[in-house]
Order: sequence, then structure tokens, then C-alpha cells
Amino acid sequence: MSQAIPAGTKWWNGGKSPYNVEYGKLMMWFFLMSDAFTFGAFLISYGTIRFSSNSWPNPNEVFRSFPIVGEMKIPLAFVSLMTFILIMSSVTMVLAVANGHAGKKYEVAKWLGWTIVGGFAFLGCQAWEWTHLHHEGAWWGRNPFLNIDGTQSSTNFTNFFFTITGFHGFHVFSGVIINIIMLIMTLKGSFEKRGHYLMIEKAGLYWHFVDLVWVFVFTCFYLL
Amino acid sequence: MSNEAVIHGHGVAAATHDEHHVHHHKETFITKYVFSQDHKMICKQFLITGMIWAILGGLMSVLFRLQLGYPDTTFPWLEDIFGKWAKGGKIQPEFYYALVTMHGTVLVFFVLTGGLSGTFANFLIPLQCGARDMASPFLNMLSYWFFFLASIVIFSSLFLETGPASGGWTVYPPLSALGDANEGSKAGMDFWIIGMALFVVSSLLGGLNYITTILNMRTKGMSMTRLPLTIWALFFTAILGVLSFPVLLSGLILLLFDRHAGTSFYLSDIFIASTGKALPNEGGSAILFQHLFWFLGHPEVYIIILPAMGLVSEVMAVNSRKPIFGYMAMVGSLFAIAILAFLVWAHHMFVTGLNPFLGSVFVLLTLLIAVPSAIKVFNWLTTLWRGNLRFTPGMLFAIGFVSLFISGGLTGIFLGNSTLDIHLHDTYFVIAHFHIVMGVSAFFGMFCGVYHWFPKMFGRYMNNTMSYIHFWVTFLGAYLIFWPMHYEGLAGMPRRYLDYSGWVSFRQFGDLNRFISTVAMVVFAVQLMFIFNFFYSIFKGRKVTSQNPWGANTLEWTTPIRPGHGNWIGEIPEVHRWAYDYGKDGREFIPQTEPISANESGH
Amino acid sequence: MSDAHSIASSEHHEPSFSTKAIWKTFWILLIITVAELVLAILYYETDFLPKHFLNGIFVIGTLAKAFFIIAEFMHLRHEIKNLILSLAIPALLFIWFIIAFLWDGNSYKNLRNDYDRHHLEQSKTKAPEAKKPGAAD
Repeated sequence: MSQAIPAGTKWWNGGKSPYNVEYGKLMMWFFLMSDAFTFGAFLISYGTIRFSSNSWPNPNEVFRSFPIVGEMKIPLAFVSLMTFILIMSSVTMVLAVANGHAGKKYEVAKWLGWTIVGGFAFLGCQAWEWTHLHHEGAWWGRNPFLNIDGTQSSTNFTNFFFTITGFHGFHVFSGVIINIIMLIMTLKGSFEKRGHYLMIEKAGLYWHFVDLVWVFVFTCFYLL
Repeated sequence: MSNEAVIHGHGVAAATHDEHHVHHHKETFITKYVFSQDHKMICKQFLITGMIWAILGGLMSVLFRLQLGYPDTTFPWLEDIFGKWAKGGKIQPEFYYALVTMHGTVLVFFVLTGGLSGTFANFLIPLQCGARDMASPFLNMLSYWFFFLASIVIFSSLFLETGPASGGWTVYPPLSALGDANEGSKAGMDFWIIGMALFVVSSLLGGLNYITTILNMRTKGMSMTRLPLTIWALFFTAILGVLSFPVLLSGLILLLFDRHAGTSFYLSDIFIASTGKALPNEGGSAILFQHLFWFLGHPEVYIIILPAMGLVSEVMAVNSRKPIFGYMAMVGSLFAIAILAFLVWAHHMFVTGLNPFLGSVFVLLTLLIAVPSAIKVFNWLTTLWRGNLRFTPGMLFAIGFVSLFISGGLTGIFLGNSTLDIHLHDTYFVIAHFHIVMGVSAFFGMFCGVYHWFPKMFGRYMNNTMSYIHFWVTFLGAYLIFWPMHYEGLAGMPRRYLDYSGWVSFRQFGDLNRFISTVAMVVFAVQLMFIFNFFYSIFKGRKVTSQNPWGANTLEWTTPIRPGHGNWIGEIPEVHRWAYDYGKDGREFIPQTEPISANESGH
Repeated sequence: MSDAHSIASSEHHEPSFSTKAIWKTFWILLIITVAELVLAILYYETDFLPKHFLNGIFVIGTLAKAFFIIAEFMHLRHEIKNLILSLAIPALLFIWFIIAFLWDGNSYKNLRNDYDRHHLEQSKTKAPEAKKPGAAD
């Protein structure tokens, strides 16, 4: 079906999209660019405060609990699970988009369904982690953890942690809502009627962006 | 063919059959004037909202100029209107700070950003690119209504018991974060943050639309290098907004947490004198907020000035009956300015404790802006050079813009040097600099645009006599107001003070301040005359009888005198040449829609 | 109208998604993440590498992951070059954004340590052990 683009096409001459995409997808890309600056500003602020502090808590000390098993000795195990869930849900989302291209309605619905499950699983994990940290005495303005060198830490470690993961969680949540709407529209056959599944593609871009942000959040808070 | 269907999407695919479209849908009052999705109506909504804000913001400046000009006089009528804010007929310090803060906020964001690019991006992008409407008319409508909501929130903050935000339009913490430190940092600050957050949403929705429309929906033959400079300028403006406003949003969210959630992003080691309490906050950095704020704040000043530059370039070429000089250099310098806008923000922070070596890097980057700015100025001057100038009101304002941009820009070179800035920062020199270079000159760009495109917007002309009075009084007034401020600033007179009479060094400027205040009031009154002219002409102005009253090349003048939704009847015209074929081959102007003839000379 | 679109969507998109590439990307992401975790835990247990060096590895790993997500999952690698460049060029602004902010953050720390003796003392004083909830085990 797909046709090669003729060589020497004058992309910028007007009357056609210079990017060969319809406006909605272009808008989504630029929106994500803008949102990247929102997250970028948060993470860079976090970095700035960290660079201006003499010492900082050790993430391996803070994030090492796992539900049910309790205080496991393996640091970062739980966040690895969260990361795995999110990457997995990104894969199911791509599969939904790919099936959308092939116009397979039920396949799209199936993979969208799994993506939604993945989104909820991630949110559940995050809720558990937040509750756990809250029980340990951490919250906005309260930081029970000491710096890595044993000195008293400022509250900014938890302040940034809750603000940024919270903002990311909010994005995941809105992504899940968007995906649910997409699922309903797919099942109702709205896209079949339109003859294309471009909406799924745009929702997919958003969902992958959420995954992308998580990659950076993961590095900044749990590894560095 | 397919690509065309793709780029036009559903919204405008419907409009390709626009004859049916226009006639079959009965428009109600609500869909035509309130929740309109027609870019031309949304433009008018932005323009009129912006005008209302401009009057309010201007009125605020008149009030504090009254205080600065007449610090010893009491005005009992002020107390009648403002009550405790002007006790005994004298403007109270809190009120003064609230006035200057809201004056800045309103004019920078609601007039010169929302009102300026909201108006002209909406009006000109579809018309000059050759599109039926914006890429997404619906989001475009939402953009206005978010702007409206933001306006409502900010406006209602004026009526709070504790007053609106009053820590300066830059809302630096710790002052803005601590309600105990300042009346205006109580509820007023929350309103300010919420209002600005809504504003960011509005600007994002608008900006995404502008960018995608310009890229995706140009008519056949309208290559990027055939676009009028207005569109280029609005394009870069939209990019600046889309990339920089989110950073402000992040900064404000952190500020909100500092205010209400006990965090210390910006707070450290603070003792509040009024309550006698030391705060537990530790580890934050107030400089961080300034970085975040100015990462938006600096691109913001270009968001304000670039559309004005674009409008001026277009109006100047049309009324000089000459091609714009150095079209590609103009585009290139717009691009250079847009890039540099993101690299120079910390020049607003030379004396805040910024690392001095880092500061010197910012000096270098800042001074680089002089290069593209100078290129633009030379190109405007050479466009005027030996042209057949037609001094229409729009043209006068365009020339005035160039004059103001030069005189305001030169003082920017002073301030961009960190060593000079140690002496000049926070003095009236700074006030003079930015009011001339981005305040008044952006207004001139806006007036130039309003006068020039008024016939297209409303199918009538504005009154010429009032327009000329408006121009000369505003132009001379602007210089008379701000020129003396350079002098005061060089003498070290600091900004943000209510009363200078207590200082031996600055008492001598009492008469000068009174002079400035008097001129400011006269200029404000003349703006009211402009507003009157505007609304009067909408209903009673001389009617436009020809499709192309200015003899301009661009596409908007190929539409009917009062274009309906969809802009062109029938096919969208195809474009065959750039927008600046004026005075070529013995012809006064050649519209963009005219095919290149066989024996035409190149340009 | 729907006809126009169905033609459009089939014609303007390039070679569709291949399931194989998707899973390959998944494995790459997983392997990088696991490698990062192993390094982090090894470092925690043994201090086998200087932290700065390790941080460098983490940053490179993160950028690699970001590249694969954008290129494959978001399908950007298969779009035309115009779009790729229009998104990549603004992203370059992050370079100076990050450098300037972190530079000044670091400078703020040094200034404070130089001029605020009390702050420096405070940040060298060990907190009492009892207050350390992480050390409950």
C-alpha cells in the first residue's frame, strides 16, 4: 500500500505539509516539545538545588522497599518493577498503533486494553510507594532521610521527589483517561468510520512521551 | 492530492465546499460573536479584550505617576474611590506596589502578548498564508476563552481585601512566597499564579495553532520564502511562546508549593520582621526562581517585539512602494533573535548573586543580539530610502517604531554590560530602556497594524485627523516621558520608590517628575481618543469601496471586502511570487497571485 | 471526506510498524535499564567505581533509552527529515539551559560556603543517629 515519496519533492512550496503529516500529529509533536520544557524545567531545578547543596540523600537507602516482602535488602527493586511496567505498556501501545495502521479494530482494542491495564498498574505502584514513604515520615516539607554523609538533609529531596513524580503521575493518569476514550471510540467503530486510526497514533505519542519522561525521572531520582 | 487532504484535516476539508458551508449553516449570535471559531472574530475578541486591559493598565500608571509627580499633594477624590488604599487622599505604599505590579503584568502579558500576537496572529496567519481558517479552529476558540478566564481571575484579584499581587511583575520569592511579608503576597498572589497558569494554557493553544497553520496550511505556491515578514515574525513568536512559557509554569508550580505546602524550593534562612519569626525553611535558592522566571521572561520580551517588527516591515514596504530591503536578512535576523532569546536570560540577574564568570558569558551572548537588531534597523531604513512614501497613519507608526527601537535599543547595549549594569540596575535608566524598546515601540507596532488592517477587519477606515493627532502626541509624548528618565537613572535614582522627596540627591528631580507625570496624563488621554476613534469607526467610519485600498501584494487583499468564514469565495488563490514586488518593471505593485510573465525582470 | 482520508493515511505513511523492531527496542530498553540497576546496586554494595564516572554511564544510558523511545516507539526515525530536524533543533536549547542552571547552582553552593560560615558548619555536623529512620533494620 505504502507509496514511495517521489524524489525531489518540493516540500516547502505550499499546498502540502512540509512534514508529510496532518496537522493534528504535528500539533501533538509540538505540544510534547513544550511539555518537555515543563518537565525539563522541573528536573533542571532539581539539579540546580542539588548542585547548590553540600550533600544529598542516597537513593539506594531511601527506595528499597517492596510491598508484602517489606524491607527487602535489594535497593531499587520496586522502582525497577515500575519501570518495567511502563516500558511494557509502551510496547503494547505501539502494537495498538501498528494494528491501527493495518485497520484491525479488535487487535487495536486488545492492545489498548493492555496499555490501560499497564497504566493503572503503574499508578497503583506509585500510590503504594507514596503511601510507604508517607508512613516513613516523608512528605512535602518533611524529609526524614539523612544525607549520604550522615548530616541533616534539607527537605528539598522529598519536595522535588513528590512534586516531580506527582506531576509525572498526573500525566500518566491523563494518558490513561485518553486511552480509555480511545478504547471506547475504537469499540464504537468511530475510527473505522473515519477510515483511519490517526487518533490512536496521537494518543500513542503522548503515552510514549510519558514513558520518555519516566526514563529521565528514573535516572535523576533513583540512580544519580 | 492526498497530501492536501491530509494537511487540511477535517475542519477545513469541510470548508473546501465553502459555498455550501457558508449558506447552509445558520449562525446564531452565540456562534458568531461569542463562541466563534472564525479566526477573524477571535482576532477581534483578542483585540478588544486587549484594549480594555490597556486602558486599565494605563490608568494604573496614571495613578502612580500622580503620586510620583505630586508626592506632597493630597487628592481627596482618590480616597473616595479607593478607600483605605488611598487614605487621606494619598496613595499608600501597598497600593503603589500593587499598581506597579499589576501595570507590568497587565501590559506585558495581557496587552502586548495576548492582545498583540493574539490579534494579529489570528487575523493575518490564515489570510496571508492562504488558508480558510486556523488548523484547529476549535482550539483557537479555546485559546481565547482561556485568555478570557485568565483575565477574569487577574481582574477579580484587584478587588481582594488584601489587594492583588504586589511584589513586582517578576514576583520574586521570598517576597511573593510569604504571605506574612506583604499584603499582596496573600490571596492576591494565588490569583496571580492561577491567572498566569491559565494564560500559559491560552498561549500554548494559540501558539501550537499558529505554528501548524503556517507550516501545514499555506496555499499552493506559498513557499516559506514567499511568506510576508509578518508571518515569519508571528511564526518565531509562536515558537518562543511554546518553548518558554512552560518553564514559567514549572516555576510557578514550585512557587505555589512553597506558599502552601511547606516546601523550600526558593526559601532559605528567612526571618520575617513583621511577625518576628525565623522560618524553618532551608536549602532553597531564590536565584533559582529568577532563572526560571527569566528563562521565560527574556523570550517574552521578544514575544512582544517580534510581531511588532513583522507588522512594521510589511506596512513599511507597502507604503514605501518599494520591496522590503534584504528579505532573507530580515528572516535570518528574526531567526537569530529567536535563538538568542533563549540564551541570554541571566542578563536580568547580574547583581543577584549570579556567578560573575557565568555572567560574563551572558554579557557576550547578550551583546550578540545587537547584530541581528542592527541588521533589521538598517533594512528598515534602506527600505524607506528613496521610496515613494505615503504617510498613512499606519506608516507613521511604523516609522515611529523604528525611531523608538533605535533609541531604546542603544541603551540596551549599556545595560547588557555587567560592569555598567552594577551602576544602572534598578534605576530609572532601566525603566526608560525597556519602556521605549519593548513597551512603547511594541505599542507602535500594534497601532501600525490596527490602522493598516482596520479596513480589512471592519470594512471601514478610521478617522484620519484623529489618527494623526494620536500619532504625534503619542510619539512626542513617549520621548518626553522616557527620555528624562535616562538622566534620572544615570544619576542613580532607583525605581520602585513611592516618594523621592526624602533624598537630598533626588529631591532635585521633583520638577522633572512632575513634568513626566503631566505628559503621561496627556498621552493617556490621547489613547482614549484612539479608543473612541476605533469604536466610532467600526460603525460610522468611511466605507471601504475597493478590494485592495492600500495597493498591497499580500493575499488578504484578494478576499472580499468583508470576508465571510472561509475567507475566499471559491478556490483559494495560488501564489506565484514573493510579497514584495513593488515598483517593479514600471508597475506600482504586482499582487502575489499574479503569474510571473515571460519578460519580467528578476529581483 | 472519509475517502480522502483513507487514501491519505495509507499513502503518506511510510513502511508500517514492524512488530519485530518493536520487540527489539523493548529488549534494548530492558537491557540498558537492568545494566544501570546492576551498576547502581554494585556501587551501593562495593563502591567499585568513582561516582562521577558511574553518573556519566547513567546519563549516557538514559540518553540512549530516550533515543530508542523517540526513534522507534514514537516512530520519529521513520518520518521525513524535515520533521526530525524541526524537533531536534529546538531540543538543543536544553544544552545551555542545563549548563547555565547547574553552573550557577554550583556557584551558589560555593558562595554560601565561603560567606556563610554557619551554613558550612551545619552542613558538616552529623545528625544524631536516632533520627535516621532508614536505619531501622
